[in-house]
Order: sequence, then structure tokens, then C-alpha cells
Amino acid sequence: MAILEVKNISKSFASLKAVDDISFSIEEGDVLGVLGPNGAGKTTMIRMIMNIIVPDNGTVTLLNSTEKSTANLIGYLPEERGIYRKMKLVNVLLFLAKLKEMKMSEAKKQIDYWLKRLDLMKWKKKKIEELSKGMQQKLQFIATILHKPKLLILDEPFLGLDPINTKLIKEIIMELKANGTTIIFSTHQMESAEKLCNKIMLINKGKQILSGKIGKVKESFGKHNIHLEYGGKDDFLKESTYIKKFDNFGNYVEIQLKDDMPSQDFLKEIVPIIQIRKFEIKEPSLNDIFIETVHSHGKEDDHE
Amino acid sequence: MNKKIWAVVSREFLTRAKTKGYIIGTLMFPVILIFLFGGIFIFGRFFQPSTQHFEVIDQTGKIFPQMVEMLSDTLKNGSLKYSFTEIDATEENLENTLEELRTKVLQKVIDGFFIIPDNILTSRQVKYSARNVSNFDDLRDIERVISKSVGNIRLENLGYSPEVIRQEMYAGYISLTSYQVTEKGEISKSGVSNFLLTYLLTYLLMLFIMIYGQAVTGSVIEEKSQRITETIISSIKPIELMMGKIVGICLLGITQLTVIGSFIILLSTYGTPALVKMGVETPKLLNIIGNLQFTPVVFAFFILYFFMGFLLYATLFAAVGSMVNTTDEGQQFLTPIIFLNIIGFFIMITVAQNPDTPAAFWASLIPFFTPSVMFARIAVSHPTLPSGAILSIFTMGISIYLIISLVAKIYRVGILMYGKKPSLKEAIKWIKYK
Repeated sequence: MAILEVKNISKSFASLKAVDDISFSIEEGDVLGVLGPNGAGKTTMIRMIMNIIVPDNGTVTLLNSTEKSTANLIGYLPEERGIYRKMKLVNVLLFLAKLKEMKMSEAKKQIDYWLKRLDLMKWKKKKIEELSKGMQQKLQFIATILHKPKLLILDEPFLGLDPINTKLIKEIIMELKANGTTIIFSTHQMESAEKLCNKIMLINKGKQILSGKIGKVKESFGKHNIHLEYGGKDDFLKESTYIKKFDNFGNYVEIQLKDDMPSQDFLKEIVPIIQIRKFEIKEPSLNDIFIETVHSHGKEDDHE
Repeated sequence: MNKKIWAVVSREFLTRAKTKGYIIGTLMFPVILIFLFGGIFIFGRFFQPSTQHFEVIDQTGKIFPQMVEMLSDTLKNGSLKYSFTEIDATEENLENTLEELRTKVLQKVIDGFFIIPDNILTSRQVKYSARNVSNFDDLRDIERVISKSVGNIRLENLGYSPEVIRQEMYAGYISLTSYQVTEKGEISKSGVSNFLLTYLLTYLLMLFIMIYGQAVTGSVIEEKSQRITETIISSIKPIELMMGKIVGICLLGITQLTVIGSFIILLSTYGTPALVKMGVETPKLLNIIGNLQFTPVVFAFFILYFFMGFLLYATLFAAVGSMVNTTDEGQQFLTPIIFLNIIGFFIMITVAQNPDTPAAFWASLIPFFTPSVMFARIAVSHPTLPSGAILSIFTMGISIYLIISLVAKIYRVGILMYGKKPSLKEAIKWIKYK
């Protein structure tokens, strides 16, 4: 059953089309990474999912339940995040827990658990303004997951965190994923997305340019890329009818085959010509996909 | 009210109520009141007015003796309030004499001088010259006495003997004791202390609406400028957040007003006996305190009108907060609201003296003026309820509902708008958003 269904949502601000006809759905237990360059419309889309801004067109169906309880089942970490500077850390967390209608005894237990886990215990009674930026980020993260949400929506969760804390937060996200929490998060960090997600969606200039299960996306990009190390003449690179394009780095060459050419046949073709030291069918990283897709779409747009 | 709103209410209340500033502020009011009354007392003791010296050119020769006789009031220390010296001036040296008198005034030897002309019976004009001519009360006293002497002289001219005139005049003096007609019968009441109390209470009411109203603006701006809003409204609807804020901050005001009100009740009940015990014998002060009519009923209305007035004004203050990014930006929008409040206060001053006119009735039903004007009418007319009192509760209720539903729409959009401050026109456009 779909936990979130987004149908054809669009939103314009003045002349700028921030989100242009995006549709997708996620099932329980999915982890969706929303990728895209700065200003692509990720935050606007998330805000529409959260009903913070109303779409011009389209619908968002969340959790298939009544509106009142929905808010309590969601944990949302906005991109624009701040917290009451004059309040004590524990009071902020208790306040946010109350807003999610948590039982106080349960909230206190959870707060202690997470403060220990994220190494903030000794700051429990300190005012927020005494905390460093990174600590405030961790606090925000705790506030987001404290009430054990079914659906977690994280807008740039690693923003402003050092590598150690980034790793810690990733571990916790993995744990939540293992416990069946459905997660949507936006990020620039392709590596994180690669490790955490089972689905990805790429947005550029408000448009959804790529989406689906991460394996399939990679497959669709990857089956034609070959990493080849060899000895012998390189004439075949220009002569072979299998090759779409190549980058020769001297020691090795990166080859992209034409779309309908099986790599198996290409291998057969070159075996008699050169001495092969390494023949690898390479999966592209999300980074490659990201750059390539954004790049080609950028070009398309320029032609328009 | 649901749990979420209560969470906001208690956060707004507790984070502020626990600050030193608030606790000290709450306890300071009784202390300030004690100092105020103590100050009036000390002022009365040590800064008593001294005798005023006047010189008089009386060309009739008949009025001066009567002035001296009739203006023989003494100050609290026993000396005369006014002292008069007669100056003889002939037609020839009149100019010189006047010049001398002016010099004396300027050198502060005397406070002023009067010229009572020969033809006063027909001209009815007396000239008074002084450095300071704003002592209306004193001048009215003197004017009254000279008028009386002129009247006496005219009667004498008709053939009545001075003794008869004096006797008849004294026999005609009356004194006015005021009683207020109420449903429970007539009660003797001092107008002065009632006005004093009404002004004080209404002033407090309006002041608190302004102070805590601006706290609402500040609270909204804090959430906006520190980017807290989005986190909060993923859990609670904007209108619930706004209402929680307004009610939480309102409770701060009610708490302080209750402390002040209780103190005034204590003061009016036990104040006079306590002061008498301390050996204070300032009749005016004792009178004012003893006559304070701050009953639980007035107190209840006081809190009720504060509550309603606060909801009305604070909702506007919340709208302002949602529209701007800094307190400075807000000032421009706050000024008209504060102005509205001040107009209400001025209307109240007039209405408190004439609470039963049609103008008073209608003014007290204008929602933005109801808290001050209607409360003043209730306090002054107490224990009778003035016309429209119950009606005003309904009109306020409806107005509050309308304002809240209107502002909720502005608020919802405004709290997420960062950057440029919108014009009023744009804000009105927000109301139409779905």
C-alpha cells in the first residue's frame, strides 16, 4: 500500500515554475532519495508534501488516514531549521514531543535514550544558545525521530554536520530503515543516497527527470559502460561498430557502447586484436548519473 | 481546547513566567503602588504651598476690606493662603505705581497685583497681573469673592444695610452631598476616588494590552527569524499555534492584573485603618483610599474586558509579527494599532464623567474601544450596570471571532514568508489564498 502518493503537483512563484508536474508514490519501508542541484525544487516539493504550501495543481495523499493523526505519524526535518534559543534543551524536546501528543513518560524515556546516543546528555539542562551549530543539528534530528514516526521526511539532513556526526546520523537512518520506517530525504551527497536509498528521484529546474528503484536506474545507465585495460594498438577504438564513444586515458580506456550492442559480442570482437588485462562492465555512480543527466537536460533547455 | 494548543499555551506562559523580569515585575506593582501613595503623602507634607502675596489698587475703596475678610483661608501649616496689601494710587502717580508693582512682581517680592477700577459696578472688569497666571483654582476663588463684594455693594446701594446683606447671604449658603442612585438604594460616594480608581484601572488595562500584545508580535517574530516555524507547524496548524501563543501570553497579563487587583482590594479594605494606626492624618488621602469601590464584581469585569480586549488586539499584533522579519519592521504596522488604543483611552476619560449619554453608549460598543470605554462605564456606574454592558460582551465576541478568522489566513502565509516585508495590499491578498 502506498504510504505517500503524489500526483501531478506543480507550483509557481511569480514567473518561476518551482515544481513542474511531479508524480511519484512510495510504499511502506521505502527509502527515497530526492536528488537535484541547488534550486531544483526539492524543498518546494517537500513543503507541498508537508502541506506547508498548497500546490497550484495536483494532489498529495499521505498515509491514507485522517488529517489529525497524520501530523503525529510524520517526522519532518525542514531545511530551514532553528530552535528556541532561550529554552533548555530538554524543555525544547518535551515541547516538541507534546506537539506530537506523546505520553510524557515515554517522551522522557526517549529523550534520555537519544541524548545518550548522540552524546548530548551533559547538555540536557543547558540553553540552546550555548550549544554549537552541530549540536543543534543533532538536537533537531532527535526532535524529528523522537515520536517514532512511520514516515520520516528529511530535507538535507547532513547539512552542517562534520563527517563523524554524518556517519552517526547515517547509522541511525539505517536502523530506522531496518525497523520499517519509510523515509524520504533530499541531499546533494550522492554517496549517502547510494548507500541509504532503494529509490531515487532526480529533479532539475522543477522537473522530475529520473526516478525509480536505484538498481534499475543504474542498470539503465550502466550496461553500456566498459572499463578496459589492454596492450596493443588502439586502432580498434575508432574502427569498432559497437562503440558510441570513448575516453582514452593512456593506461586504460572508458568506453560507452551503442544502446543495442551486447557487451558480450564486443568482447568477442576485441579478444583477437588486443591483449586484455582488465575488462569490467562498470555501474555508474549516482554522481555520474547526476552530472550526466543534469548536464544533458541543461543542454536541452538551452536549445528550447 | 486540544492538547497541542495547550502545549503552546504552557510554553509561552512558562518560559516567560519563570524569568526574573516577570517575577520582579509582578511583585513590583504593589511596591510601586505603596510608593505612589507614600509619595503623595510625603509630597503633601513637605511641599505645601506657601502664602501668596498680592497688592491691590482698589479705586472704589470698598472692595479690598471684603477681599481680606472673605479670603482668610489658611494653609495646613496655619499661615494664610493669600495675603493682600492695599496700595494707594492717585490718578497722577498711577503710572509710576504700576511700574513699581511690575518691578516688584519681577523681583518676586509679590506674586501679582489687582486693579479694581472706580467704575467696577458697571464695567465689571478687574485687571490681574502676575508672573504666573495659570493658578486657575486660586483665581476662581478671588474672582468669586470680588463678584460677591460687587453684589453686596449693589445691594447696599439699593438700601439694604451691610449687616442684613451679610446675614442673608450666609443664610443662603448650601453644601452639596452626592449620592449615587442604585438598585440597592442610594449610597453616598466620593466622586474623586472613583474616578481615580477608574482611570488607574483602565490605564492598566490598556497598558497591559499594549505590553503583552507586543510580546505576541515578538514571539511570532522570534519563531520566524530563527526559522522555528516550519518545525512547529509540521505538528500543529498555524491557527492553533497562533491561538496558543495569544492565550499563553494573555495568561501572563491576567496573572499580573490579578495580583494588582487583589492588592487594591486589600488596600481599600485595610488601608485606612492601617494608615490611621501609623498616625497618618491626611484626610484627603484617607478619603480616597477608603472610598475605593473595587468590589469583586468590578474586578471580574476588569479581567473579562482585559481578556476580550487582549484577544482582539493581540490577534492584530500576531498578524503584524507574521508579516515582518524584525521588530523594527513591525513598528510601522504597530503604530496605528497603538493609536487606536490611545483614542479609546481618551474617549474613556470623557465617558467616565458622563457614562449615560448616547455617545458613551455607542462609543462603548465599538470593539476597539469597548475594553476601555465600557469598563470605565461599568466601574463608574457600579453597582448599577450601564446600558449595553451585556450587549458589548456579545459584540466583542463576534468581533474577536471575525478578526481571528481573518488574521489566521494572513498568519498562515506570513509566518513562512521570509525576505521582503509585504505591503498591506499584499497581506490582504493572502487572505484570498486557498
